[in-house]
Amino acid sequence: MLIPKEHFFQFLKSSVSKEGSGFSEVILPYKNDDDLFFINYSGQREPALNYYRTIDPLRIYFYFPREKVYPIETDNYKRLIVGATACDLRALNLLDKALVKGDFTDPVYNDWRKSTYIISADCEEIADTCHCTLLNGKPYPDNNYDINLSSYEDNFVLQIGSKKGEELLEMLEKTGKTKEESEAVKERIEKNRSSVVEDLREQNKDFNYNEDYTQIRNVDPDKWWEDQEECIGCGACTNICPTCYCMILNDESNQQEFIKVRSQDSCQLHGYSKVAAGDSPRPKMRDRFRNRYLCKFEYMKEDFDELGCVGCGRCIDSCAGEIDIREVMHKMLNQVKQKKA
Amino acid sequence: MSANPFAVNSAQITDVIQESPSIKTLRLDPKDKFEFSTGQFAELTVPDKGEAPFTPSSSMYNTDYIDITIMKTGFVTNHIHQLEPGNRVGLRGPFGNEYPLEDWKNKDILIMGGGVGMAPTRSLLLSLLDRKEDFNRIIYLVGARTPKDMIYKDEVEDWRKYKDVEIIRGVDEVPEGQEWNEEVGLITTLIEKIDINPENNPAVVCGPPVMMKFSTLELIDYGYSEENIYLSMEKKMYCGHGQCRHCMIGNYYTCKDGPVFTYHQIKDEENIWK
Repeated sequence: MLIPKEHFFQFLKSSVSKEGSGFSEVILPYKNDDDLFFINYSGQREPALNYYRTIDPLRIYFYFPREKVYPIETDNYKRLIVGATACDLRALNLLDKALVKGDFTDPVYNDWRKSTYIISADCEEIADTCHCTLLNGKPYPDNNYDINLSSYEDNFVLQIGSKKGEELLEMLEKTGKTKEESEAVKERIEKNRSSVVEDLREQNKDFNYNEDYTQIRNVDPDKWWEDQEECIGCGACTNICPTCYCMILNDESNQQEFIKVRSQDSCQLHGYSKVAAGDSPRPKMRDRFRNRYLCKFEYMKEDFDELGCVGCGRCIDSCAGEIDIREVMHKMLNQVKQKKA
Repeated sequence: MSANPFAVNSAQITDVIQESPSIKTLRLDPKDKFEFSTGQFAELTVPDKGEAPFTPSSSMYNTDYIDITIMKTGFVTNHIHQLEPGNRVGLRGPFGNEYPLEDWKNKDILIMGGGVGMAPTRSLLLSLLDRKEDFNRIIYLVGARTPKDMIYKDEVEDWRKYKDVEIIRGVDEVPEGQEWNEEVGLITTLIEKIDINPENNPAVVCGPPVMMKFSTLELIDYGYSEENIYLSMEKKMYCGHGQCRHCMIGNYYTCKDGPVFTYHQIKDEENIWK
């Protein structure tokens, strides 16, 4: 389905107005220098769709850094997020498995998921640290979106991915004209996509990932410490990761009522797993450093059949010690290979 | 499961029992029904102060009240020790797995409880006693630092009245001024004093990490298989249902896959005794 970009933006403008489609909030990426940020849409400035992932992970719109989880106040909030990227959708898929589809449901995450419509977009540019292809990902989404946008000249090509997507399309067709895209347009989009995949492969050609992830726990711990030396244990890598969902449950009860607030935590912080008498299974930074990798590449894979790393590269950008997850994994997987040989 | 796992059940404290200088038992009357299986734990909220995980110490078949035995060891537990009858606390749960009582029918059961680790094992013992006809012998080894630290003092004689129930209590030392006429020595030395067939029979261990470690090794020496040694593990369980990830032992969640593990399950994981 093809729609002129102008019509699409008209739809967005109308959807934030009270008479429009009833979204309480429309959130889109905007570009500041080389960085992209999700910001509430005001209609004043051109959003930056079809670039690359934002600084903030999409996760924080569904799993807030601080959120009341009991008692729950429900309202009829409806949100639209536009411009989500494939890596973030892949991460949401993991979070769905962890927080909704497992043997418990995080009620607040579930509410946000239900009340949010997602329009994703193909990445047509890449950031220096993007490496989804190393993790068998692609810079365009295959699923987990309501509508996906590919850019074609002055148009967006729409792909509908869900019931919510059909609803959105109906709304779109009220303000804009859509038509079937031609074969030539489809081919052009495939070509664009392939060229971005090529860019990603070229950018990451020095990193050799193989899928022997479960073996990294057997690598000599000393090899891990070499990379950990620059780590200051600040937890930025986990705070900015689209799949990290570790949390502290804060009790904020008073004499009148019981109140539980979940807030973001990081396995990189000292004291994370300290127990009552003061012992901790991971008292040293090096243990916590390695734990993050085991969690991403082994534990999450085992629990959810999804890798905890989607290759967004945000942890590389945010690291004060300039530690690059690609380099660490490259080295560790090499160690696995050497051990086997 | 769609119920809110963070929901809190209000409970009234009906009694507070001073078990030792640093250990108290709270007797609770929950507003909504609170059923648990022995081995499972609950999250207890002290309004204004915080929440922490504890294993009930009463029988799972007791529907009149729930006992929770708590040692003063940190911020929340210090506040718990200031609570009085009539005060209100919150309960979430129960969480985690239970001791597999059904698998233990007609078996000889060995239980080892050290210090405040006696609390979960008291729940187990009382649950077993409530249906004693289903089980064979029960041998309960109890350890504490000094006679003053020994908890549930007034109940032991009642337990000893049951047929085929043997209770051996030991203290590490008897300081001057304290009286003691039972065993003296670490809990691990009590194992030598019993006569039980370790084959196909379960042994349960709960206590401080160092006690659990050496008791487990001693049980293996005695002839128990790794699969039959049940450990009640304690980690920082914030949420109780496998979300916060603080209590992971390797890829096991203590709160969800445990807190009851067999030694066989977790022996190869790192730092299990910390």
